[in-house]
Amino acid sequence: MNITCEDRDRIFLDGTPAEWAALEAHSGNCTVCSEELRAWKAISAAAKEMRDYSDSPSLWPRIEQALTAEAARKKHRAEGWNWLSLGLGLSLGWQTAAAAALVLILTASAGWIYLHPPKSRPSPDLSLLKSSALAEVERTQAAYEQAIDKLAADAKAQLENPATPLEASYREKLLVLDSAINDLRAQAGMNPSNAHLRQQLLAMYQEKQQTLQDILEEKR
Amino acid sequence: MGTMGLALSWETRISSMPREREMRVEPSEDLPGRPSETVAPAVTAAAAEDAELAERCRTGDLGGYERLYALHGARMKNVARNLLGNPIDAEDAVQETFLKVQRSIAGFRGQSSFVTWTYRILINTCYDARRSRVRKKEVANDDSEESPRPEPRAPGAHPSLRMALERALAGLTKHQRDVFLLYEVEGFHHAEIAGMLEITETASKNTLFQAKRNLRQVLEPPRGNTAAGAR
Repeated sequence: MNITCEDRDRIFLDGTPAEWAALEAHSGNCTVCSEELRAWKAISAAAKEMRDYSDSPSLWPRIEQALTAEAARKKHRAEGWNWLSLGLGLSLGWQTAAAAALVLILTASAGWIYLHPPKSRPSPDLSLLKSSALAEVERTQAAYEQAIDKLAADAKAQLENPATPLEASYREKLLVLDSAINDLRAQAGMNPSNAHLRQQLLAMYQEKQQTLQDILEEKR
Repeated sequence: MGTMGLALSWETRISSMPREREMRVEPSEDLPGRPSETVAPAVTAAAAEDAELAERCRTGDLGGYERLYALHGARMKNVARNLLGNPIDAEDAVQETFLKVQRSIAGFRGQSSFVTWTYRILINTCYDARRSRVRKKEVANDDSEESPRPEPRAPGAHPSLRMALERALAGLTKHQRDVFLLYEVEGFHHAEIAGMLEITETASKNTLFQAKRNLRQVLEPPRGNTAAGAR
C-alpha cells in the first residue's frame, strides 16, 4: 500500500490496520511523518499512565451496604402497594378492571348524591337518641311534678286560709311561680329539645318545692 | 453535551479488560498478529456474561452486583477519578452509580449492553457531580477553573509527560477530554464510547482526533510550527 504525508491525518483519524502499517513504513523514510507518529504514540503512552486500577478495600462494603438498604426500602414500598391491592395477587388486567369498577361506583354515587341531596331532618338514629333522652327528661319531670303536687296538696289548707302575712306572701309567690312554670311548660312543649328551657323549668320547680317546704315548716 | 443519537448495537459489548488486550485499530505495538477471528468467541462469551449479569441484577441478586463490581469496579472508579479529579468524589460516584442501576434496572431494555448502560449511568453521575461542584464554586465565589485537577499519582514510565498531559487535558473541551479519557486511558472502543456518551462512532473518532491534535500542539508543537513562530 502506497501512502503519502497527505494520508497521515486521515489514518490518525480512522485508519485501518493495513494503513497504519503502511504509515509506519512510510515514516521510515519521512522525518516529518516519523516525528508526528512518535508524538501521536507518546500521547497514547502518557495516557496509560493515568490508569490506576488499584483496589479500594472499603468501596465494595460501602456499596453493598447501600444496595442492601435500598433493597429493603424497595421491599417496604412494595409491601405497601401489596396492601393497597388487598393482597389478592390480581393480575394487572384484573387490577385495572377493579380500579375502573371502583371509579364507576364512585362516579355513580357522586351523581346520585348530587341529584338527591340529603334532607335537613336528622338521621333516624340521631332522632331516636334525642327522643329517648327527651322521654327520660319528661318522665323525670312528670315524677317531679307529682311529688311537688303532693307537697302542694299538703300545704293546700294553709294556702287557702293563710294564718299569717308570711303564709299570704308564700301564696302570692306560688301563684307567680305557677304562672312562670305554665309559661315555660308551654314553651318547652313547642321546643321540647331546648335544654335551656328545661333547666329554667327545673329551677322553677325547685323554687316551688322549696316554697312549699317552707310553708309546711311554718305549720310545724 | 448534545445527544447525537445512540448508534450502539446490541452486539456491542464492553469487556472487563482494557482495549489493547483485544484487537485494536491503532498504530501500534498492540496490533501485530491478532487475527479478527479470535475476537468472535470472546464477544459471544462477553455477550452471554453481560446478559447473565443483567438478569442477576434485575432479580435483585446482590451477587450480580458484586460480580459487576469485581469486573468493572476498579475501571469505573478510574473513569470517575479522571472525570472528577479526586478519588473521594470518584468512589461516591461509583456507589451512586450502583444505586442508580439497582433503582432503574427494571427499565433496562437491552438496547445496549448492560455494562455500556452502567458506564453511561456512571458518566452521567460524574457530569451531575461536576455540575454540582461548579454550582457550589459559583456560590462560594470561587473563580477556579471547572476542569478537574487529577491528584498526583505514583510515577510511571513517563512521569513528566504524564503530568504535562494532565495539565494539557484541562485545556481541551469537556467533550474532547471525556472521549480522550475513555479511549486512550480506559481503552474503550469507539462503539462503546458512542454508547456511553450517546454519540455516533464517527463523532467519537472525530472528537478523539481533535483532542489528540490539540494535545499535540500544546505538548509538543510540531517543529515546523515552532520554526514558523520563530520567524
